[in-house]
Amino acid sequence: MAANQKFFEIIKPGIDLDFIGKQKYWIGTSIILVLATCIMLPLNAYVFTSRGHMLNWNVEFRGGTEIVVDFAKPVDAHAVREALSAKGFDNVDVVTYGSTMERGSNNAFMIRLGAVSAMSSDQAKKVEVALARVGDATLKKFEFSEGGDKVYIRFDKALEPTVLADALKAAGTSTTQKGVQQFGPPQDHTYEATLVGLESEVRVALDAKLGAGAVSSIPQVSSVGAKAGKELQLDGIRALLGAILLIVVYIAFRFDFRYGPGTIVALLHDAVITVGAFAVTYKEFSLTTLAAILTIIGYSMSDTIVVFDRIRENASRYRDRAFDRVVNHAINETLSRTILTSCTVFFVTLAMNIFGTGVIRDFAFAMNVGVVVGTYSSIFIASPILIWLNDKYVAAQKRQAARPTAPRRPIRRDEEEAVET
Amino acid sequence: MERSWWWKAVLYGCAVVLACLYLIPTVVPEDKRPDFFKDHFTKRIQLGLDLQGGLHLVYEVNIDKAVSSKVDRLSNDIEDALKKKAPDVTVGREGRDDIIVSFKNPAGLANVDAEMLKPYRHELDETSRDAAAGTLRLRYDPERVAEVEELALRQAIETIRGRVDKFGVAEPTIIKKGTDIVVELPGLKQSDFERIKSIIGRTAQLEFKIVDDGTEYMKKLGASLPKDGPIKAEPESWSEKHSNQQHEDVYLRTKDRAGLDKFIAGLSGDLAVPVDRELAIEEISPRDSGDAAPEKFYRTYLLKRRAGVTGEYLAMADATWDEMGRPEVSFTMNRQGSDMMGKLTGENVGRKMAIVLDDKITSAPVIESQISERGRITMGGYGDPFKLQQEVKDLVAVLRSGALPAPLKKSFETQVGATMGQDSIDKAKFSMMIGAIAVVLFMLIYYRLAGFIANVAMVLNMLFMVAILAAFEASLTLPGIAGLVLTIGMAVDSNIIIYERIREELRHGKSPRTAVDAGFQRAFWTVFDAHVTNFVAGIVLYSYGSGPIRGFAVTLLVGIVSNLLTSVWISRWMFDLIVGRRGSVSATLSI
Repeated sequence: MAANQKFFEIIKPGIDLDFIGKQKYWIGTSIILVLATCIMLPLNAYVFTSRGHMLNWNVEFRGGTEIVVDFAKPVDAHAVREALSAKGFDNVDVVTYGSTMERGSNNAFMIRLGAVSAMSSDQAKKVEVALARVGDATLKKFEFSEGGDKVYIRFDKALEPTVLADALKAAGTSTTQKGVQQFGPPQDHTYEATLVGLESEVRVALDAKLGAGAVSSIPQVSSVGAKAGKELQLDGIRALLGAILLIVVYIAFRFDFRYGPGTIVALLHDAVITVGAFAVTYKEFSLTTLAAILTIIGYSMSDTIVVFDRIRENASRYRDRAFDRVVNHAINETLSRTILTSCTVFFVTLAMNIFGTGVIRDFAFAMNVGVVVGTYSSIFIASPILIWLNDKYVAAQKRQAARPTAPRRPIRRDEEEAVET
Repeated sequence: MERSWWWKAVLYGCAVVLACLYLIPTVVPEDKRPDFFKDHFTKRIQLGLDLQGGLHLVYEVNIDKAVSSKVDRLSNDIEDALKKKAPDVTVGREGRDDIIVSFKNPAGLANVDAEMLKPYRHELDETSRDAAAGTLRLRYDPERVAEVEELALRQAIETIRGRVDKFGVAEPTIIKKGTDIVVELPGLKQSDFERIKSIIGRTAQLEFKIVDDGTEYMKKLGASLPKDGPIKAEPESWSEKHSNQQHEDVYLRTKDRAGLDKFIAGLSGDLAVPVDRELAIEEISPRDSGDAAPEKFYRTYLLKRRAGVTGEYLAMADATWDEMGRPEVSFTMNRQGSDMMGKLTGENVGRKMAIVLDDKITSAPVIESQISERGRITMGGYGDPFKLQQEVKDLVAVLRSGALPAPLKKSFETQVGATMGQDSIDKAKFSMMIGAIAVVLFMLIYYRLAGFIANVAMVLNMLFMVAILAAFEASLTLPGIAGLVLTIGMAVDSNIIIYERIREELRHGKSPRTAVDAGFQRAFWTVFDAHVTNFVAGIVLYSYGSGPIRGFAVTLLVGIVSNLLTSVWISRWMFDLIVGRRGSVSATLSI
């Protein structure tokens, strides 16, 4: 009765595609994609001069400052760049921020600077010269470290901090009124000056070149010291490997060791190809992208588990069949759910990719790539490795146990062949 | 219907009601909420910095700069002392920690003996001595560096908190993360960013300043105050221990800190604070005073503006006990500091000396006698001993870290304007709607009634998720929203896996009831394993990430847990409603 019930099906239950038989093509494709990623990364860094980095690292990883500037009227990116280089900002990156559709105006630019503080070391030298005498005090020591937002200035006589602040302003650097204070004991005559943020300097530079009031607002600024950026990169890699390790340990515990390596390779494969997509498109690679990759790893794993679970179930049910056939059958049986679950996540993240903004968009892009690759890898990467390992295992067991006891693991490819011959 | 079904109905019903209760403070504006919520359910989802706008700063304590200038000072001190005995001495510096003393005539090395080094014994270790070459190497005690780093961090956090409080930011977060200090100021106005950044980044200063008591100015100021205003003028008096000379003074006292700040800033004309004086404020918590007053209050001191001695001249501070067994703080000055402290206290016996950290008075004891190398600060004898002990510890921390003012170095900064946030929220909401509608339609078309169940489970999942986030007062960040949207996509996945299994069982000719049983039972472990792996990834993300990423990890983790609940147990319960009626087993199942 119920057996005749008709369901709405996209993938029919009787489906029997030969995935495993054609595995070399699939694995070949994956190897090409992974290789492409490996080639793309150095290409980005050394060949495509307009790119210059392996990945379009976000300021969080690269170190430096990112400033979003909203202009009152349309301006040209070139003019922005010129205005900034006139003020002595080097290595300026200016890109339009958001599209017309997204923000209602296309006057916003993302300005990316290598510097973190408002003072470059060249500038610092000039300021040092300018401060040689302030009032009747003579400069004794001028301390500024690249990327710092503070200057330590020592004089031979005491100075009022406000006088020093004025002198700094005259020399072309600004601090706020409260930004200069005594440092250490009064007898040292040392003063600590906190410099104003880079964005204020940028605003001044742009207003000077493009007319006062050209900058309507600076809605977002982020700056990261180079050291902190490097640490974040390292931590990211550590987190990625940590997550993979933990997941594999869990799988080894829940299934058995033969299921482990396939999953590691599949997860690494997914992570690498997603990174590759970012290398090719040169989309910004941020902390959020990294979060997406970790999510992809978790998600891809769920996909693999659905297939592996069925393989394990069928392996004990169809003891008389060859293991690779069991695997192929299990993949076909679970194909419908694998595709459906991936589709729901894919379309939801696609909606985010199309309609979202900023970080959400990058996140969604990574998820889109990752979901596709993750589904693919559980079928075409994890399973073949499982078969290969199983074959090795069975062969090893056979060699080791030449005695005539029945094999503990009945999933043997050669058994079926033996029956046929 | 079986009895257990009803029990579950009650349980799930309660969960839904509870979730709704937790959600109400987030959804309904405060003035429209019934009174009940004002007392019981007040927690709500906070918007993260990237959505609300605000300032996120990470500072590291620049301990190298601090230590290096401290050792510079010590080396000058030693050079001064040795020059008197052996003019052929040179004292040099190497790296951050080392001082090298060398004599042209090697015999001069004998001058550097235990007695000479005694004032530095807490800070410097002798690492090598070459009698033939006449050189000696001293190194700054590494244990002191580690200790100071910790104290400096603690002090910096306190200082930043004090500075931020003045700005009246609604919910500032100032926390220690490793050796970094993370400052989050949500909702801060963009025009204030620059100002607050320059104030937070300043290095805290520890100063000893003399309180100018008995002035005409304070009497005048006190008399100018209205009798029943929020700020009151109070007289105080104490007598000098040895000569019994009386000191009388007037101070201002209030519970309204902001009002007092404003009042002082507004003083002008006749009442303006004299140029070489300043009016500083001390916070008195009830445990400090013998007053019955249960609330903390603020009082003023009129200080001489120029600091007599600064914290750099302190060599050591310790918690000790006086002869009566009361806790006290004892401190040692270094050589140069001893002279200065001796002069300062010698001239001001009987007066009060304020210990000022970052313009805030930490303590203002009376100088009982001249202090040169060693001094003691006896705490006021009120309050219970445990609290007094705590206070002594706090003061020791201030003094010790003040001896090494560690500059803060900004390593990370994000500023977000408020408009940016609103724009992102709107876009995210829209894409969430689109995604949700697509999933709901798909499930209805593909699985019909069962799809409807999955949709109900998904909605409940969202409800629980948001309620849990509200209950924990989690902050919702942009990546956090991405996590929420992602959960919509993943929420139905478990149902798909289960339904496909049920269909398989049905195809094998099982009755709907057994098929549902088998489907849920067999698919459970698959679903469970999948959740666990996602959970693991989420935990790694949480421990790695900062700020917004953490927000994502939290939504992901919460989503995974509530998803397991809704898509496995609650949808199972709903299925029981369809297939579970005894005696009326339906022939087909809409799946």
